[in-house]
Amino acid sequence: MEDLREITTLQATTILISTIIGVGVLPLPLFAVRAGETGAPLVTLFGIGIAAIGLFIITKLGIRHPSKTIITYSEEILGKWLGKVCSIFVIIFFTILTALAAREFGTVVTTSVLIETPLDVTVIVMLVLAAISARNNINVFAYIHNFYVPIILAPVLIVVAVSLKNANILYLRPLIGSDFKEMFFGALTVAALFQGSFIMTLIIPAMKQPKKAMKASIWAILISGGLYLLLVIATVAVFGTEEIKQLFWPTLELARTTSLPGNILQRLDIVFLSVWVTAVFTTIFASYYLTIYSIKQFFRLQDHKMLSYFILPFVYILAMLPEDIFQMYEIIRYVGRIGLSITILYPLFLLILDVLKSKRRKHSESKQV
Amino acid sequence: MDKVKKGGGIVVLFFKEKKKNGQIISKKTPSSVVEEHSKNKISSSLDETVHFMKGIFGDSNDFVIKHFEVFGQFHAAMFYFSDLTDQTVINNDILKPLMYIPNHLLQRKIVLNDLKDVLINETLYHSQAKLDDCLDRLVDFVLRGETVIAIEGIAEGIHIGTRKLEKRAVNQPETEQVIMGPREGFIENIATNLALLRYRLPTPDFCVKKMEIGRLTKSKVAICYIKGIADNKVINEVEKRLSEIDIDVIMDAGYLEQFIEDNPFSPFPQVHSTERPDKAVANLAEGRVAILVDGSPFALMVPVVFSQFYQTVEDYSTRFLMGSFVRLSRMLALVFSLIFPSLYVSFISFNPELLPTEFAVAVAGGRAGIPFPAVVEVLAMEIAMEVLREATVRLPKQVGGALSIVGVLVIGEAAVNAGLASPITVVVIALTTIGSFATPAYVAAFALRMLRFSIIVLAGIFGLYGVVIGVIFIFNHMLSLKSFGVPYMAPVSPENYQGMKDVVIRSPLWWMPKRPTFLHQENVARLREKRNKALEHNKIGNDQREEGTSGGPKRNHNSSSDDNLN
Repeated sequence: MEDLREITTLQATTILISTIIGVGVLPLPLFAVRAGETGAPLVTLFGIGIAAIGLFIITKLGIRHPSKTIITYSEEILGKWLGKVCSIFVIIFFTILTALAAREFGTVVTTSVLIETPLDVTVIVMLVLAAISARNNINVFAYIHNFYVPIILAPVLIVVAVSLKNANILYLRPLIGSDFKEMFFGALTVAALFQGSFIMTLIIPAMKQPKKAMKASIWAILISGGLYLLLVIATVAVFGTEEIKQLFWPTLELARTTSLPGNILQRLDIVFLSVWVTAVFTTIFASYYLTIYSIKQFFRLQDHKMLSYFILPFVYILAMLPEDIFQMYEIIRYVGRIGLSITILYPLFLLILDVLKSKRRKHSESKQV
Repeated sequence: MDKVKKGGGIVVLFFKEKKKNGQIISKKTPSSVVEEHSKNKISSSLDETVHFMKGIFGDSNDFVIKHFEVFGQFHAAMFYFSDLTDQTVINNDILKPLMYIPNHLLQRKIVLNDLKDVLINETLYHSQAKLDDCLDRLVDFVLRGETVIAIEGIAEGIHIGTRKLEKRAVNQPETEQVIMGPREGFIENIATNLALLRYRLPTPDFCVKKMEIGRLTKSKVAICYIKGIADNKVINEVEKRLSEIDIDVIMDAGYLEQFIEDNPFSPFPQVHSTERPDKAVANLAEGRVAILVDGSPFALMVPVVFSQFYQTVEDYSTRFLMGSFVRLSRMLALVFSLIFPSLYVSFISFNPELLPTEFAVAVAGGRAGIPFPAVVEVLAMEIAMEVLREATVRLPKQVGGALSIVGVLVIGEAAVNAGLASPITVVVIALTTIGSFATPAYVAAFALRMLRFSIIVLAGIFGLYGVVIGVIFIFNHMLSLKSFGVPYMAPVSPENYQGMKDVVIRSPLWWMPKRPTFLHQENVARLREKRNKALEHNKIGNDQREEGTSGGPKRNHNSSSDDNLN
């Protein structure tokens, strides 16, 4: 750990991108269509907007405290005990988020690729992979994310590009959906898919130039948001809203309908899903890392390596709690909404308090002068 | 140290202490006697010195003590190992002038006090004649093939470089052959190797630091770098790690590698060894540090990044299109050697629907009579291939041909006919093996060869999911490695713009004006600041021909040192 503060702006951007883009991409068009019918792209756009605000708040907070994470500066802003209590919520939330992401992907894999393999095995393989990798320091964490970003972006872009020949623009009209209340909640669900961007609080203390964190955030939200939007548009344009509602993972179906020219591989969805393991891994890896790093800071420990294996059973048990796929998605939606209050409202509250505090400090200083 | 030396007790007369306390210290190995004398000076009495040398080397029959008279008046003795030294030099350049007073000295009267200066400066025909008065160093000189002369009444010994060793010629290295490029390779002798480096780097910035490692072998180790380009931190770290080594014998550079690498449990090599002086020089010029060991034809280079292991010197000496194309095919081979068999296993056992229908039918037809699952079949064939490869490596050439024919028959035709393997499996195994041969660095290819087996097993259990998990695991490991402070996967991640130009393709030399900064060099300018004129010629194109004269003089004006890209 001798060389901290090595993360470049590009690395910060790629960490955010690969953390945001995860297993949520698979059911994303379904969430958007359920909420807004043909207004799905608009719902997604709203969701991206909400997520962007959240990310900007957390970045702003990080820039104001460039050597601390939310666990440490919350104690400074809220006072020691209140800050600790809030930090416990953050830690618990990200443990659950890790578990749910692993579970969701395990479900996808067992239903579409490894039909005979038990769910437990796929989940535990993924979690072990994340736990072993999480033993590295934050610079290696950055290298890993940086390395995988092209592998994450490429398959989605290829699938979208190849599927466009089946697209029907009429499916996208009318652009504005009907039920605005429903659309708002849908936007919240979409925004919840961006919760991984909370990792920014961990990156800023390790950045070479914390001032440039905002630039990284903007680029990350543009790229990952753009990809999400593109995917929703492509899915709706190919399938139409009614058909999407029948599908669990419309993105996967989109990959299935496409085939490479020359018919080299008959089904693209399995290849897509295999490559997509990388994206899911980076997401789980990031939230796992965030969890153990936060625990480390919470208890003011020296090292996070041992924690990595220590919390593995807890995450695994949490992952296996939902009974079936329907209950799982119910929980995911529920947790996502609650999560928004942790990842957006709580930082917003902190930011306001922090600004007021520093203003008061300035005020009193000027009085003294 | 007592343990390692032959246990036979040698009664050594400790004359100095004997004189003082009259004791005889016995049962010591010679080397520990030398160690005890490390502070002592040579005595002015010739008898004592002869006695001491006899005590040290007396058991060896190739050790020679020759008594003679210098200029017919001073008693002297000469110590050397007859097999390590050049007899002609001893006879003509040492004994002759010493015994036979040279003409220019005939008229002079030589007193004892002046003798050593007269000998060194006016008598001996040898540039490496020096004086030394430490006993232990004189013993060391004798061991290294020098001739030591002790003279009655002078408390200093003269040592003269008379070492003569058989060494093989500078040949084309066996492990790194090139089609286009220099044909020189390092040999075992470190002096020759350093000369090969110096001759390519006639600059005072090229520094060589020497040290000795190994209690018994006392191998000379040279740390070479270019001052002003190499990172001082790396140089210090190399020195630190090398000086911490405490071992009895160093037989090869590989011994050192195992002591200085960062993660000994990783399958990936973290030190790059090469037999080619040109490669070593290119690496030095990029800011790396080279370590040479006496007795090994390999130079170790640190720090390394993974991309180095699939680059060859030829990539740079050929035109960039050629170099890039070859490199791309090499990377493909690398990927093949790692995951091709596991992809095959997962396609066959888990996702046959991925294959085009006609091909799937063909595969199914080929596998019709095979009793094993695909993973067992592939693993068995891979193991057979590994055994075959290992068998051919050390065989004499005359037998090797026969074995490879048998191997081809067994692994190819016979296995298919006997129903042990399907023809497509054989094709897959063949491609994989060829792929692993295409990796230029043997050690890196070996790492992937080992990892291939674990991925095949994963593919057998989890199909494509397992393959991807395995590959992610390997990449994460590679990303977490560091070699002397430089991340192993640089310049890809952490990203480095200058370095990226030389990873997948080999960019034209004029696209890479700076050294890759991930090595933290102090000086990064590779090309001269003056613009390279070679490019402008390309751009002028046809105009050049029309103008006739403009092209020629311009090029001539550009002196060769400006064109020299390195």
